[in-house]
Amino acid sequence: MNEITSQTPALQLSDVSKSFGPIDVLQGLNLDIRPGERHAVIGPNGAGKSTLFNLISGMFAPSSGDIRLEGNSIGGLSPHLINRAGLARSFQITNIFHRMTVFENLRIGVMARHQVRYGLFRSAAGMRRVNDETADVLNRVGLEARAQSMAGDLTYSEQRALEIGMTLTTGADVILLDEPTAGMSREETAKAAELIRKVTEGKTLLMVEHDMSVVFSLCDRVSVLVYGRILATDTPERISANREVQEAYLGQEGAK
Amino acid sequence: MTSIQKILLALLLVLLIAVPPFLGLGWQNALINVLISSLFALAFNLLNGQAGLLSFGHAAYFGVGAFAALHLMIAVEDGLFFPTPLLPLAGGLAGLVVGVVAGYFSTMRSGVYFALVTLAIAELFHSLAPHLEGTFGGEAGVSSMRMPWMGFGFGTIIEVYYLTLGWVVLCGLALWAYTRTPFGRLTLALRDNEQRVKFLGYNAHYAKVIVFAVSAMMTGVAGALLAISNETANYSLFSGSVSAQVVLQTFVGGSTVFFGPVIGATVFTLFSFLISDLTRSWLFYQGLIFVLVMLYAPTGIGGVIDHHIRNRRQLDLAKIGGPYLVALGGGILIAAGTVFLTESAEVLFGQDYAMARDGAAGGFPAYDLFGLSWSPLNPVTWLVPLVLLCGGVFILIRARRVIDRLWARKDEATTDDMTVGAGGKE
Repeated sequence: MNEITSQTPALQLSDVSKSFGPIDVLQGLNLDIRPGERHAVIGPNGAGKSTLFNLISGMFAPSSGDIRLEGNSIGGLSPHLINRAGLARSFQITNIFHRMTVFENLRIGVMARHQVRYGLFRSAAGMRRVNDETADVLNRVGLEARAQSMAGDLTYSEQRALEIGMTLTTGADVILLDEPTAGMSREETAKAAELIRKVTEGKTLLMVEHDMSVVFSLCDRVSVLVYGRILATDTPERISANREVQEAYLGQEGAK
Repeated sequence: MTSIQKILLALLLVLLIAVPPFLGLGWQNALINVLISSLFALAFNLLNGQAGLLSFGHAAYFGVGAFAALHLMIAVEDGLFFPTPLLPLAGGLAGLVVGVVAGYFSTMRSGVYFALVTLAIAELFHSLAPHLEGTFGGEAGVSSMRMPWMGFGFGTIIEVYYLTLGWVVLCGLALWAYTRTPFGRLTLALRDNEQRVKFLGYNAHYAKVIVFAVSAMMTGVAGALLAISNETANYSLFSGSVSAQVVLQTFVGGSTVFFGPVIGATVFTLFSFLISDLTRSWLFYQGLIFVLVMLYAPTGIGGVIDHHIRNRRQLDLAKIGGPYLVALGGGILIAAGTVFLTESAEVLFGQDYAMARDGAAGGFPAYDLFGLSWSPLNPVTWLVPLVLLCGGVFILIRARRVIDRLWARKDEATTDDMTVGAGGKE
């Protein structure tokens, strides 16, 4: 443990709280994500998982506490600045550009990475490096056959793959995936988990996931979030053996 | 752009260059207005169609461009050296500057709130302008004259026409090129999903201000061209009707197609040129056209044309052409009936007819319309439009049924294609 604590965490939340009016959604939350690990956040509905992601990615500012990305404080910054600092997220509800082609969906993110954000005096088709890199991401998420299809015309699981692809395009080292396999069949889920393993190689991954088979096969550590607090953080095996966790969360699943 | 589209555009350009010298002054002037409103609509649609931001106050930037050009023209009259053909630059610059400021505030919000802020900004100009004698010339407005430059007198309408044509083509091409740039693609992404744009590392507000400013700049150029053509402008340029006009033109022309707004601007401008002398109800007809297009072809004229071009391979044009002609005939009958009723109403509720009634001791004397005499008490007078309308509706419904069936057959053909495609993949 000592060697790990000496390393700067990829993502560090210290005493983070968030309340909406009188409702405390997150209370004094502490969480360290180590560089290069795959970390899952599980917890019952309403535990505050989405709020946690929204705080880290800049959708909302935390009410109190500090969020650090590779040692730099990012709490309360706007989403585009957090993205530029090296953190990208996907969304639980597919959040793509429906009336643009799959290729263009990915290229918007690649453009941001190559600092051609507001280029007005060049041709989009002529940006070779941007287009090559877009094609590369396209291949990695397995959508090359759909490159010229409208994103809105894709099947659900294809849209989820595009969602993950878009998260990769800006070149962030820390990736947040919000329920990437939600609504998928068992077969699709297995495929998606494999895709996530492949594309997050060498990156730090934090994901909200309900499917325990995905959590067990993919993740190094798991944090259990219940009523706005982290109940436990440990390896998947030890988490599933934890009595407290079973009562709070896994027990409900087992009772079904 | 396909090669066919390029050829068509080149052909249109040749016509626009070659034909006007042989036209009368009235037509030359009408074409200048067509060109100006086309550029206005294209600039407006950059914001509306591509960025998904519907502005109800584009008159502000149109008017600002016009006044900026007039002030520069006055300075030129007073001895400043500035080439007359470059006057629209003043309008573009003024539009850009005002656009950056107005855009900064209005694009803080999207949707309805954005529309309301733009509306408020235009109304601000409209209500302030009559009181600002120095800048907007009070209620009378500002006037100036085009000065000669390098052997061009700019005294004739045809010279102004070519100046306008040059600028509109240049700006139109620039706006089209805009869609091909990285920022042009980002503009579409903003329309589709602003939130995701933010999470991909873009400052969405900053991006929207740029789109707004470019749109206002091009609108300013259009306003300057109007000022150069009219040599005068007053605060009525800021009025809500100017803002509304460009919205109507863009939607009738089709906001989803790049050149759609040009179609709408052309149709409406020529319509007012040709019809406004014939009847005082021309605004009513214009509104009627807008409502009908929105109800039955919400993608506009351009959208309908685009839809047919996209599906040309699956469509049997020889088969569908007949029903289209029949439908057109039905439409003409309905239009004739509507025009008859509208014009009759205009006569019967007009002042002249009230006086004629007084002359006829409160009776209902006959009135003249379309070179014939009609009596309001004779059933035939009302049977004519009734037959026209009913006949037209009947024909149109029948034709539409056939057309729908032909289109459905086309859809079946494409579904077959898709199943084959999916099967091939597995």
